[in-house]
Amino acid sequence: MTLVATSVAAVLFLALPLAVTDEYYLHVFVGILYFAYMASAWNIVCGYTGQLSLGHSALSGIGGYISTLLLINAGLTPWIGMFIGAVCATGVGVLVGWPCFRLRGPYFALTTIAFAEILRIWTENTEEIFGVELRGAQGLSVPLKGHAPALFQFDGKVPYYYIIIAMLVGVMAITWWMERSRMGFYLKAIRADQDGAEALGVNSTRYLLSAMAVSSFLTALGGSYYAQYFRYINPERNMGLDLSIELALMGIVGGQGTVLGPVLGAFLLTPAGEITRATLGGKFPGLHLVIYGLVLILAMLFLPKGLIQPIRRLLGRKSAASRESEPAAA
Amino acid sequence: MDPIFLGISVVNGIVVGGLYGAIAIGLSLIFGVMRVINFAHGSFLMVGLFIPYWLWQLFKINPYVSVLVAAPALFVLGYAIQAILIAPLYKRERAMVLEPISALMLTAGVGLIMDNVAFMIFGPDFRGVTLDFASKAFWIGETLNINYTRFTAFLVSLALTALLSLFLVRTDLGRAIRSTAQNRDAAALCGINVMRIYNVTFGLGCAVLGVVGCLMIPFYPVSPSIGLAFGIRSFITVVLGGIGSIPGCILGGLVLGIVESVAAQFVTATSASIFSFVIFILVLFFRPTGLLGMKV
Repeated sequence: MTLVATSVAAVLFLALPLAVTDEYYLHVFVGILYFAYMASAWNIVCGYTGQLSLGHSALSGIGGYISTLLLINAGLTPWIGMFIGAVCATGVGVLVGWPCFRLRGPYFALTTIAFAEILRIWTENTEEIFGVELRGAQGLSVPLKGHAPALFQFDGKVPYYYIIIAMLVGVMAITWWMERSRMGFYLKAIRADQDGAEALGVNSTRYLLSAMAVSSFLTALGGSYYAQYFRYINPERNMGLDLSIELALMGIVGGQGTVLGPVLGAFLLTPAGEITRATLGGKFPGLHLVIYGLVLILAMLFLPKGLIQPIRRLLGRKSAASRESEPAAA
Repeated sequence: MDPIFLGISVVNGIVVGGLYGAIAIGLSLIFGVMRVINFAHGSFLMVGLFIPYWLWQLFKINPYVSVLVAAPALFVLGYAIQAILIAPLYKRERAMVLEPISALMLTAGVGLIMDNVAFMIFGPDFRGVTLDFASKAFWIGETLNINYTRFTAFLVSLALTALLSLFLVRTDLGRAIRSTAQNRDAAALCGINVMRIYNVTFGLGCAVLGVVGCLMIPFYPVSPSIGLAFGIRSFITVVLGGIGSIPGCILGGLVLGIVESVAAQFVTATSASIFSFVIFILVLFFRPTGLLGMKV
């Protein structure tokens, strides 16, 4: 059953660009998959450990800026630059996480928010640093090279669509594997009772940091992808709190701490946000964020475990800990 | 560095820092009692600034008089949000005390709505109140001048902190709040209505922002987006001073104000905020309970 569903989903998604030839709709799909990827990366640390990060946008921004700056200033292809950016973001993520994970309490949430906001404000107000142009709030444009696959630039949106599909499958596979590994069990134990897990010999700081490192790395790759896809990056969109809240919202509404939850959240909320912005955005510019706020409140009050839970129950499965995972339910 | 300029920036830092401390009190009080991080803290301050602004704009009411309206209004707003939205979380999580993450996300939603509703109504403009009083300053010596409105804000902030501490120590309601903070089950056994205490605490934490808003509006223009910057300053202030400690807030605010102000003499004001973050991380590393905090 699971196998059949997975294959059907795989065929559907792989064949989608054949059916959807309209660039706009393909663009919407790329957006949905991008958010599904980012929310899944967020989920690895926040969903599985219960440590809330509202600063993941900073990691995405670091990745995007580093790969773009390397392309502009050194001519280095983003295919390599995105991994350099991801390594840097991992270092930053671990440095920010380290002091917080040794403590109990809301320190991680506070630190990540403060870090992301300060980084955003600093970037917005820095025109150049050590001779490298950052261009402040204007943001950076990726130089156009035409159809240059070696430089992560393609004609049309179809190649970008397949790249983000591959990235999403990758992050879901990592999450799926992690959930079943020793680390996944440790993380769940830490989430349930950090002191209890410590007492049983789990080095909680180490495992929380590992989860943070993986999550930072993947988030930064997503940031680079975003920069190369839009060929433009700015602090407001790529480092701002709105992005962090969107990721957290998708993870929570879908169901944090599950493989499919964040994907489900992204498939529901991205089109909803897109439609609000497209139809009412001109008249009421903050409306989609008001709606996000309402959804967040309602989700916390009535569906703290996300939409995935009632769906699972409908399908006759008991809990997130059930052995099966069905990547096709989304 | 010229010692005179250094002196001026330290004094400016102290004056601003006192205000930062007062802004953070509500956050610290609410966390200390309820273990909830109010993410909408900055948004409540934004409302606290808009109330005296409109009272002045529409009825020419002096902002310092508007305290009489703004503080009760924010008390009611905070009380209602706690009673209607946050209380159900407590009832659900009564059996096992969870990390306050769900409450944090809930208040993040509240803040998102407040900021963007204000944005839809008022637009992105900065609006300020101009008082004759605001442009006047007094001089200490030849070079050091302090603006009257800022100095008033500083003094009232200190007085407010002292009053709140006194209220918590001396009155019955204050004792009830403190005992709930220490152990909510034991407090409930002693006949304290814990949920009502939570409502009152949240209201009080927001009412402080009503007072602070009236103090700030003569020299600090308001726009719907200022909440986040002050919310984050409050997070840093509270962690510096010791989360849950009221005098710690003032100390944390002073440290933050002085660091920002002195660092701004060397680098741009925006880069200066990186210094406050570095201090924040160092405190987390070496003294996670904060400068005046006790072990939680």
